[in-house]
Amino acid sequence: MSPILSVRGLAKHFGGVAAVQGVDLDLPAGLITALVGPNGAGKTTLFNLITGAVEADTGRVMLAGTELARRTPARMARLGVARSFQDLRLFQSMSVQANVLTAIEPHAWFWQPGGRRAHARRLQATEMALAETGLSALADALAAELAYAERKFLSLARILATGAQIWLLDEPASGLDPASRARFSALLRKHAGQGVAICLVEHNLDIVSALADRIVFLDQGRKLAEGEPQAILRDPALAAIYFGERRA
Amino acid sequence: MSAYLLNLAELGTIFALLSLSLNVLIGYGGIFSVAHAVFFGVGAYAGAQIALHLAPDVLLAALGGGLAAGVLSFALALPALRVRGEYFVVASLGLQMVATTVFTEAQGITGGYGGLVGIPPPSLFGLDISSPRLFLSVCIAILLAVMAGVHALMRGSFGRSLMAVRDSESAAEAFGKIVPILKTLAVVLGCIIAGAAGGLFALQMSFVNVESFTLDQSVLIMAMVIIGGVGTLLGPLLGTALLLLLPAALSFLPGIPPTELGAVQQGIYGLAMTLLMIFRPGGIAGRAEGRR
Ligand SMILES: Nc1ncnc2c1ncn2[C@@H]1O[C@H](COP(=O)(O)OP(=O)(O)OP(=O)(O)O)[C@@H](O)[C@H]1O
Ligand SMILES: [Mg+2]
Repeated sequence: MSPILSVRGLAKHFGGVAAVQGVDLDLPAGLITALVGPNGAGKTTLFNLITGAVEADTGRVMLAGTELARRTPARMARLGVARSFQDLRLFQSMSVQANVLTAIEPHAWFWQPGGRRAHARRLQATEMALAETGLSALADALAAELAYAERKFLSLARILATGAQIWLLDEPASGLDPASRARFSALLRKHAGQGVAICLVEHNLDIVSALADRIVFLDQGRKLAEGEPQAILRDPALAAIYFGERRA
Repeated sequence: MSAYLLNLAELGTIFALLSLSLNVLIGYGGIFSVAHAVFFGVGAYAGAQIALHLAPDVLLAALGGGLAAGVLSFALALPALRVRGEYFVVASLGLQMVATTVFTEAQGITGGYGGLVGIPPPSLFGLDISSPRLFLSVCIAILLAVMAGVHALMRGSFGRSLMAVRDSESAAEAFGKIVPILKTLAVVLGCIIAGAAGGLFALQMSFVNVESFTLDQSVLIMAMVIIGGVGTLLGPLLGTALLLLLPAALSFLPGIPPTELGAVQQGIYGLAMTLLMIFRPGGIAGRAEGRR
């Protein structure tokens, strides 16, 4: 399957730190790719480079074959690349419903184009995203008042509602209880089944082996390996790096 | 109503417009400007000039004042908003200081330190509305119309976008928000309203000078918004009423010598703001618990 998003040779230095060094990545439609690696491997930075939140030193990003040279987060969002944040970055003072609704109101003018009909459609997309993430009953609660798992699901609901075809999820499942984790996995599976290309950062290897179609292993900014979960997870050299550095 | 109370009510209405307009910046946009009196002043001078040279029409003065302040804020907002929040406060402080000097020095436009005097009594479409009751009614009608408009905008997608940017700029961008445009629109909208309030102020006072447009005034407007409750519809009105009535109330208190009134007033504002930020950061009309 041809990748919908491809990354070639992305690199970024922060002062003396080579956070990402010439990484290639392909995200095919309908597949869940897990980005795995020890702390500081450059996973979040890779997302930042893809979305243009951080400007890359070198490297290219192609969306459905078209190179995107001047990337900004807003432009990438409009092109259907949605991302979540490791620290969630919910709109804390807004209601759960408004968090999702505003995520699909990107127009910067005083009002959105399309009038009432378009607004009704966005309200419906919001409702569906809340229903799918189990947040319907909390629609009017403030984001800041949510419990931990609910906050994680709200972060996901914002992305769901956008209808984006590429999801970059930064540790979306970390700290979830087993029941929530199962709900989360089912949700990702469902959308991958509908053709969404998903890339998720995840430290828990049980989740990774259960959920991911492919693993990309990153260490010190370099891609060390890529392939089927079972093959990667069985590799003793990678395990040494992963667990060694995580314990250190 | 006595002439004194009518006068107070007129001023109250004008300052309600002002605090309402600053609330768009602070409360919704998270943009802290300590230069709001500059745009109030630009609107007042424009309104005064229109009244002196064209016609003392209330709507004309308000529109002219709003336009002048809006154009200036647009020119300033684009470069100023490139700097991060903390620095914006400093940039606006700088603007306030420059503007005070310009207001004092630009004799030809502002009348210098003496100001512009002899502004004719207000009219509306050629009808004389110089009676305080009529003028007050027109001001209240304008205030209500602006409140309704701002409320509609803030409850809609524009308000949501602004609040999203305020809560997390990077997340807002990640959902396609174009932050500089949103912030510029918020600033220009707020400054247009401040300029319109300035136009009304010129007609209400029948003279204007730089003393009404200094840093003290900017701080007072900010205090009205913060004490009343940022990001709420009624908070700024409440703050305006409290801070305008405070001097009047204080002057009735026994035991405070008139020469000390100003100092006592400043002390009370300061104390009120400090206590509020500690115990009720959302302001009087805000939610009881602080925003995180
Ligand atoms: N904005 C920045 N400025 C300077 N250094 C940075 C910046 N962002 C990341 N780094 C550095 O780049 C390296 C990679 O960080 P990154 O956050 O991408 O790692 P990560 O794989 O997401 O780690 P974690 O699993 O802890 O989230 C780290 O050494 C980090 O300190
Ligand atoms: Mg990270």
